[in-house]
Amino acid sequence: MIKVENLVKKFDDKTVLNDISFEVKDGETLAVVGFSGSGKSTILKIICGLLEKDSGTIKTSEGDIAMVFQYSALFDSLTVHDNIIFALTERKDLRKLYSSQDLDNIVREKLKLVGLEEIEDKFPSELSGGMQKRVSFARAIVTNPKTILYDEPTAGLDPISSTLIEDYIVRLKDETHASSIVVTHQMSTIQRTADKVLMLYNGKSVFQGTPQEMCEQGNEYTKQFITASLNGPMKLLTE
Amino acid sequence: MEQIRAYFKQSATYQLLQILADQLDDFFTTFGEIAIRGLMVLKCIFAGQINLKEVIEQSARFGVSSLPITISIVSMTSIIVAMQVAGEMVKQGGGNYVGLLVAMLTVRETGIIMSGFAIISMIGSSLASEIATMKVTEQIDAIRVLGVNPIRYLFVPRVLAGTLMMPPVMIVASTFGIIGGGIASTLVSELSYKAYFSSVWSGLYIYDIKVAIAKAFTYGFVIALISCTCGYIAKGGAKGVGIATTKAVVWSFVAIVILDLIFSIAFFF
Repeated sequence: MIKVENLVKKFDDKTVLNDISFEVKDGETLAVVGFSGSGKSTILKIICGLLEKDSGTIKTSEGDIAMVFQYSALFDSLTVHDNIIFALTERKDLRKLYSSQDLDNIVREKLKLVGLEEIEDKFPSELSGGMQKRVSFARAIVTNPKTILYDEPTAGLDPISSTLIEDYIVRLKDETHASSIVVTHQMSTIQRTADKVLMLYNGKSVFQGTPQEMCEQGNEYTKQFITASLNGPMKLLTE
Repeated sequence: MEQIRAYFKQSATYQLLQILADQLDDFFTTFGEIAIRGLMVLKCIFAGQINLKEVIEQSARFGVSSLPITISIVSMTSIIVAMQVAGEMVKQGGGNYVGLLVAMLTVRETGIIMSGFAIISMIGSSLASEIATMKVTEQIDAIRVLGVNPIRYLFVPRVLAGTLMMPPVMIVASTFGIIGGGIASTLVSELSYKAYFSSVWSGLYIYDIKVAIAKAFTYGFVIALISCTCGYIAKGGAKGVGIATTKAVVWSFVAIVILDLIFSIAFFF
């Protein structure tokens, strides 16, 4: 469960998130959409502790919070194997729990879950963007998190790789029963992965509902977003 | 009043003051970050949060890979000093002091400070760019989200390696420096090896060596800490990595020179 109430975040004088509230139940996925710079990634960074909030409350289920970064953020000096077991070997509370045989098995199991095999000894630079993304999924779920955050998981990928990534988001949700938040710009990602949608504009929530309601309701903001129109209540910063 | 303010903001004086204020702000921010990270590193070390495997890997980087260049620079410096003074000193009847002069200069100053400069150029810059790249590609954020302390994972092994490897590097480089100075002295003057090395031992005290080792520990700690911190606070993309690397080198150079002055005042006056 993720429960966010009245979240406010400012950078200097600019209010990036203004009174944002939402709830994601266990096993649910919330898609956060909006223009670039509307504060979507900031929500994720506050939830996982990378940024401090100015006010509001955030409650998450007991357990780890995992995050899949926009450009994977794999450790380029480590192999895929070492990337995946990083938390298990470096965290004080976990490092003595697993033998090297256990760790090998975990790597194989997690890679299988994201449809990859026999790449344990490769370095991230030897993998395609889609494969890197899937390795970062495997790394994120290695501690069996109760909350998974995806920051634009399909950014920079071709449509087929995007579909594959969307399938794995759904699969991971089913396997882990974690609460997930997916920050995305793509309608296909919303429709294929999300149970609920939160739309932000200028740091404010302008729509909350299901993907179906997003498409069917006459909300000016969602209509403009879906039709990718320049005419509507949302103005680009350059205008 | 508004017009005067607007006019003043366009003036060269205002621009200059603005640049000065930004530089001062950057200086104090960086200084504060280095001090805070230093305390965090010490806290981790005293709490025993040390990854020995990483420390050994980083020590190899500090010690082995920097040794050839460090030996070359320190030896060259001692050879140059010996070539400059040996001939004249022998002519003036001070041949018995050539070894003493070269050894004292090498052990007290050039050995350690030139080793420091070599380590900064080779290792400090690479540490800063490595960590800055990790920062701008969100790898450090990933470390934090995975529940690992980046200070323990990134700083502690590098700072420990720097602290522990600097003395042996300095000792080896200084030894080569003294030997190189001896060879140069005998080549440019009529001084014998025996006279040179007797002079070395007559003027070199254990106290000098102890202070040199203390300096080496301190410089190793400071170089690694500054380099890691400058990388860690990097912002932006490729430009940010470049700025962080330059900042690490400049700050380390200045810190070493200031520390050298402090050591000289504290131990030799």
